[in-house]
Amino acid sequence: MTQEQEALFAGEGSTEKAGFVIRAVDVRKVYRMGESETHALRGASLDVHRGEYLSIMGPSGSGKTTFFNMIGGLDKPTSGKVYIDQVDIAQLDPFELAWLRCRKVGYVFQTFNLIQVMTCLENVMLPMAFAGLDDEEAREKAIGILERVGLKERALHKPAEMSGGQQQRVAIARSLANSPDIILADEPTGNLDLKTGEEIINLFDRLRKELGVTIISATHDLKMLRASDRIVWIEDGRITRVSTPEEMNIAVSEVH
Amino acid sequence: MEKIGKQVHLGFRRALRIAMQGIRIRFGRSLVTISGVVLGIAFLMSNLTGQIIQKAVASERDQRQTATLMLTMVQSEVGAIAGKPIAVIVNGKLSPVEEKLLLLLAPAKLQRDTAAGAALLLVLGDAREAPASLAALTAAMSQRVVLDAVRDRRYMPGAADVRREVFFGEELEQQEKELREKAIQQSFRTRWIIVVSLLVTVIGVSNALLMSVTERFREIGTMKCLGALSQFIRMLFLIESSVLGMAGSLIGTLIGGLLSFVVYGASYQFGLVMESMPFGLWIVSGLASVVAGTLLSVLAAIYPATFAARMVPASALRSTV
Repeated sequence: MTQEQEALFAGEGSTEKAGFVIRAVDVRKVYRMGESETHALRGASLDVHRGEYLSIMGPSGSGKTTFFNMIGGLDKPTSGKVYIDQVDIAQLDPFELAWLRCRKVGYVFQTFNLIQVMTCLENVMLPMAFAGLDDEEAREKAIGILERVGLKERALHKPAEMSGGQQQRVAIARSLANSPDIILADEPTGNLDLKTGEEIINLFDRLRKELGVTIISATHDLKMLRASDRIVWIEDGRITRVSTPEEMNIAVSEVH
Repeated sequence: MEKIGKQVHLGFRRALRIAMQGIRIRFGRSLVTISGVVLGIAFLMSNLTGQIIQKAVASERDQRQTATLMLTMVQSEVGAIAGKPIAVIVNGKLSPVEEKLLLLLAPAKLQRDTAAGAALLLVLGDAREAPASLAALTAAMSQRVVLDAVRDRRYMPGAADVRREVFFGEELEQQEKELREKAIQQSFRTRWIIVVSLLVTVIGVSNALLMSVTERFREIGTMKCLGALSQFIRMLFLIESSVLGMAGSLIGTLIGGLLSFVVYGASYQFGLVMESMPFGLWIVSGLASVVAGTLLSVLAAIYPATFAARMVPASALRSTV
């Protein structure tokens, strides 16, 4: 490792912190709109364990989205540090950021965001193409992943021909394309009914156990919160509470 | 722990495939984008075709007129030409007028190598010097009358004693010059109209593509989340635009060219148009229109493509476009 590369990593205590897949240290984000400044984040710090199932909650305007984008490598902090797999994302150029987004993080969206003009298989193959895999290799791998989410038979269907739950499963398959360490899910059950939502939650749970991926979701879905290891509350640009579902006392009865 | 690498730009072929898929699926939107190019290029091509036909027909008419005048001169020397022996020397390259004259002279008995018994000798072609064999040829003639197409052609001594009339090569040049000047004046105006119409085309295509980009905000953001580089997104839109532009220009060129051909053909005569039409030039200007349309489409796509490429990946998350 060159000195320059070494500087990219969280030098101090990096070995003992190796269990953390994401570290956010005093992250602040200021949006400037002409004269006025909006403080979206006012110093948020969080360590995310490898293989953890983390939920982020917060009212709209709390800075939840900003924080979420930050730890997913979609945005850079104004000050403070975000380490993804011990790499300071603020120091990456656009090519390295794209590389990171392609291989380290898988994204799952509330509105599924499958490319409508492509089949499910092509959707799952797309991130592999971006990662430089050749078609044959990618097709084989994509079919394997689709099988894992139970949609192998529908590989050649277009997204529009499928139900919301199925589309979200394809989107999850796509997020797994390059074997990421982290899956970042933005309200993944927000557009689904309770039953399909539950299927998605179970799928996430299974993937976490089978593949050891870290799952971070922004959600208000009580079932999802209940399934997570930790729940992070963001209010007014700060992390105000980190607790387990038990501490938060989420009862099943509240779901219905 | 892996080292962070640099994302590699995906090749042209992959972008082409994705762009083609997009065009096929969003066929309606593609047609809207294309229609601007079709109209603009059809207008360009119909103008070019019109100019070509007008010029060709005008010069064809002129040549025919001159050839007829030349024929009258021949007739004034020898009377009715049918069956008359007329000797012809081709001295240098034949002009189109002279070729037409030869056609008009077809009823006479044309002889190429000998002037024996001929009532008249025609010297055609553009060479400055008269042919050396002239003296020998004229010696056998009964009347020794020579008509020459070039006024100041130099004759060898010995051939000077022939009675020589000169065709009006100069008048012909004068007429051509006037025709050219008129064409330049005309084409200046049409050029201005063409430029404006092409500008409108570019703006139209640019606008349609911008709409297309805003419709695809989420898709573009998603691709960026999945690891697409800005260059790839830009390339995607440039390819889409150039493919659409090429298809549109092809259609526009065909429509404009053929329509204009039919209209002008009907207003003059099809026979005259067919005979005078420089088809090679027509095809070349058709190709030029296609190339121009494609280039303009790419030009129109630069801003929308850059706009798309600049989008931040986070816009995939919650945009509700």
